[in-house]
Amino acid sequence: MQVPDIGEVVLHHTADAWTVELPFIGEWHLPRWPDVHVGPLVVNLSPTKHVVFLIVAAILVFLTMWLAGRSLKKQRAHERAPKGFANAIEALVFFVRDEIAIANIGHDGAKFAPYIMTLFFFILYCNLLGLVPYGSTPTGNLAVTGALALTSFLVIEVSGFLKLGPKGYLHTIFPPVPGMKGVGATVMSIAMGPIELLGKLVKPFALTVRLFGNMTAGHFVILSLMGLIFLFGHLTGWNWAIGFSSAALVLGIMLLELFVAFLQAYVFALLTAVFIGLMQHEH
Amino acid sequence: MTAVVLALQEGEHAAARAPSSPFEVNFGLFFWTWVVFILLLAVLYKFAFPAILKATEEREQRIKHQLAEAERMNAEARAMMEQHQRLLASAKEQAQALINEAKLVAQHEREALLQKARDEQDQILERAKREIEAERERAVAALRREAVDLSLAAASKLLQERLDDEANRKLVTQYLGSLETKH
Repeated sequence: MQVPDIGEVVLHHTADAWTVELPFIGEWHLPRWPDVHVGPLVVNLSPTKHVVFLIVAAILVFLTMWLAGRSLKKQRAHERAPKGFANAIEALVFFVRDEIAIANIGHDGAKFAPYIMTLFFFILYCNLLGLVPYGSTPTGNLAVTGALALTSFLVIEVSGFLKLGPKGYLHTIFPPVPGMKGVGATVMSIAMGPIELLGKLVKPFALTVRLFGNMTAGHFVILSLMGLIFLFGHLTGWNWAIGFSSAALVLGIMLLELFVAFLQAYVFALLTAVFIGLMQHEH
Repeated sequence: MTAVVLALQEGEHAAARAPSSPFEVNFGLFFWTWVVFILLLAVLYKFAFPAILKATEEREQRIKHQLAEAERMNAEARAMMEQHQRLLASAKEQAQALINEAKLVAQHEREALLQKARDEQDQILERAKREIEAERERAVAALRREAVDLSLAAASKLLQERLDDEANRKLVTQYLGSLETKH
């Protein structure tokens, strides 16, 4: 038996693609559009596999929320206690709203709650789509996590600017140095500027890489364990044991990935809320 | 910044080549992610979140209201109980006062009755005394009359025997006089 290049296979499977694999039908070749030139940038807006799954995740999130809301409304109309699926979604929504948004942002938290909730559920569904057969994880793409983190960055900075005003916001870049006066304080503040700016930029960068890394790493591990079958499958008499143990390990990692999918959605939403809260309470 | 971006999208210029690794950055996906995310946020904000949040906030409100109601009723019941206890205490007090008053009246009554009995007894005693006195005086008078009669009889007897004995007559008279004074 010829052993395939496992590394090549792993990278190929976790990479974005121009086609979407569909069960029983085969491959769906997505349309290719010409490049767009934006200044020095060359951007190609053609939809890819990850775009398709982004849209799928968004539709699933919307359906979940919409159906939960509808069924809650119906239960309410009949004066019944909430139950089942709708109640579970309701509990999750309220957990994100109260424990993530309001707990970290403060009384303004309710204003940011829709954004935090959308972020949490969208990332969660994107993460979970990678665990579905034929699925793919849009959050395992640096551009997607980067775009989400950039959104968070804009929300953090703009909300901070609106809350603190131009002077207060400038203080978050050139912080007043306690215990210093006159020229020394000014020099010190200006010297702190680059560090503070870097601090602001590091936050979305960390968000980007954390989510991407967690999602991609899980797939790497699963595919590598699957690769063991191809590496050692030629050992006659042992191939059944290799297959069985690989599958068992993959099952374990899959369960871990299920947990990580929730955890990373939580972490992304939580950190965004914490950063918004930090900016809101900066003085 | 631009240099970083250009470095990141190095492979992007070869637009004919499909991505082969997850570490390639396709800036087109930034656009797609933003579009999908913002659309989702808008749609959820308009159609899904209000239903979930409003429904539950309503329930929260209702439960809060019910709790407040229960609190109020509890307070009311407690106030009522206090009032009842106050009433009970005052009723007890009144009963005690009534009993005390009755006791006092009975005491007075008893004393008055006793006084009256004592007075009556005194009156009866007085009357008895007076009657005894009168009886005695009557008896003394009768006795005196009898004594005079007896004396006269004795005297007449004596006179029959010693009629003109003057000295004897004097003696009798003297004796009678002594009787008078002795008495």
